[in-house]
Amino acid sequence: MEANKTPQTFQRFHVLHRILHMVIILNFTFLAISGFLLHFSGFEWARFVVSLMGGAGAAGWLHRFCAVFLYIGILIHVFWLFYYKIVLKQNFCGPDSIVPGKKDITDMYQNLRYIFNKGASPLFDRFSYLQKLDYWGELLGMQSMGITGLILWFPEFFAGIIPGFFINIAGYFHFYEAVLAVMYIGVVHMSDTHLAPDIFPMEKSIFTGKIEKERFMEEHPGEWKRQEMINDETAQQL
Amino acid sequence: MQTGTIKIKTKMQTRWMCLLLTSGCFFLALLWFSHARAGTDKASDSTWFVDMNNYRDSAHGSLKCQECHGSMMDTQKNHPDKKADDFLYTQTKRVFDYQSCEKCHKIAYQRYLKGEHANAGLKEKTSGKPSETGYAPTCGDCHSAHYSKSHLTRAQTGKMMTETCGTCHFEQKQSFLANYHGKAAVNLGYDKAAFCTDCHGAHTMLSLKDKKTALTACLRCHFDAGPEFANIIIHDSNKNPGLKNDTKKASLKWVHIMRALSLIFVIAVLVFFYMHTGLLMIRKLHEKLRRHK
Repeated sequence: MEANKTPQTFQRFHVLHRILHMVIILNFTFLAISGFLLHFSGFEWARFVVSLMGGAGAAGWLHRFCAVFLYIGILIHVFWLFYYKIVLKQNFCGPDSIVPGKKDITDMYQNLRYIFNKGASPLFDRFSYLQKLDYWGELLGMQSMGITGLILWFPEFFAGIIPGFFINIAGYFHFYEAVLAVMYIGVVHMSDTHLAPDIFPMEKSIFTGKIEKERFMEEHPGEWKRQEMINDETAQQL
Repeated sequence: MQTGTIKIKTKMQTRWMCLLLTSGCFFLALLWFSHARAGTDKASDSTWFVDMNNYRDSAHGSLKCQECHGSMMDTQKNHPDKKADDFLYTQTKRVFDYQSCEKCHKIAYQRYLKGEHANAGLKEKTSGKPSETGYAPTCGDCHSAHYSKSHLTRAQTGKMMTETCGTCHFEQKQSFLANYHGKAAVNLGYDKAAFCTDCHGAHTMLSLKDKKTALTACLRCHFDAGPEFANIIIHDSNKNPGLKNDTKKASLKWVHIMRALSLIFVIAVLVFFYMHTGLLMIRKLHEKLRRHK
């Protein structure tokens, strides 16, 4: 009876990653809002929201403040990768790794076949290729957002290193990448994680760190199989 | 007993919440109304008729007419012929001698004489016809002598200035408003950001084609700016007629190429993943519905 009430759950995310995900959500949202308010500042509503933020100067500093915090979050992720490799002695090419490998390409091909009803859904491991794409898109995208953002923040310094019109280009890159990031995260990431029929209305595992057994089996069958094998081995040893 | 006290407590709480919400809304409304919005109306044109009610509220409201216009005795001019075809149709701005402004606005007038607009005026006199952008402006083309208000804030003046300059320099106005400076200054009323005259100089109206003068303009705010800083393109529109510097033209071409490439990249990535996600969602939904059957 007890088991029916509370489904068996497994730990999926480390507490550090849950906190970092929250940090990135908050800062990303505020960055997007304050940034696009500047772009749409010709409209009255944008001016109103900026005045609520305390004027253009305050909104600008909020943007920079959040950018610094978001980048600290990204840096901790990079440090985690080193920690994962050096301290935890895990393999980047292993099935538990977030680093993309050969399997992701075959998974993608198989998933495209699955979409057009020409095969079964691929057996995703700990991270599916879409999850890896979200992760690396954010991690690498934020590098170029950071660089172009720094160029726009300190144009005097960067004009000493690079030609002046690169600062114009940095402005356009910063804007278009912001559009890409918001439209990707807002639509692709949101619907893949929350809107999928089996998950709707909300995927909670990144906030609670836990995943139910059924969904674990269904969405990460590769990892589930390995988990079972490990469990069997330990059971035999006992 | 206990449930009763809890009920009272929750009632109190809801009351406090209501009070907090209403006061919050009130505060927001206050913010909204106190947010000073400058009128972007262009200074009304000078015509042969003066609206005296408006005139009295203007910066010049305390002046008598003859202090600027002189009397007919002084100027020794005859009253224009009422039956002439161009009676009241001649353009006041082209007829009025704006040297009378110099009496009070000496520095501004001297600067104007040294500037590009006065240069254009000289050219106009020698060639006898206006340039492509229209008549070379004198004081009255930008300032309304009769209706200009005094004690405007920096942002209010700046907003009006952008409109005024934009009547002749339309492309420059558009590209300025697309730039960070214009958005912060004009749209958001951020008075630390640069308006037209902050770079081009009030009344001198330098074109800033020369890099050295451009750099001095940048240095007014960007204290650490080096010589390369002046190569940043503020008016980065393709149609910018003022852009005659060849190196800037070449670099502007690159800016637009990179802009187009990044736009193509963004569209390509989004189209691919939107289709991928959309189809995947449909497939999964199909699967789920089939399972329920």
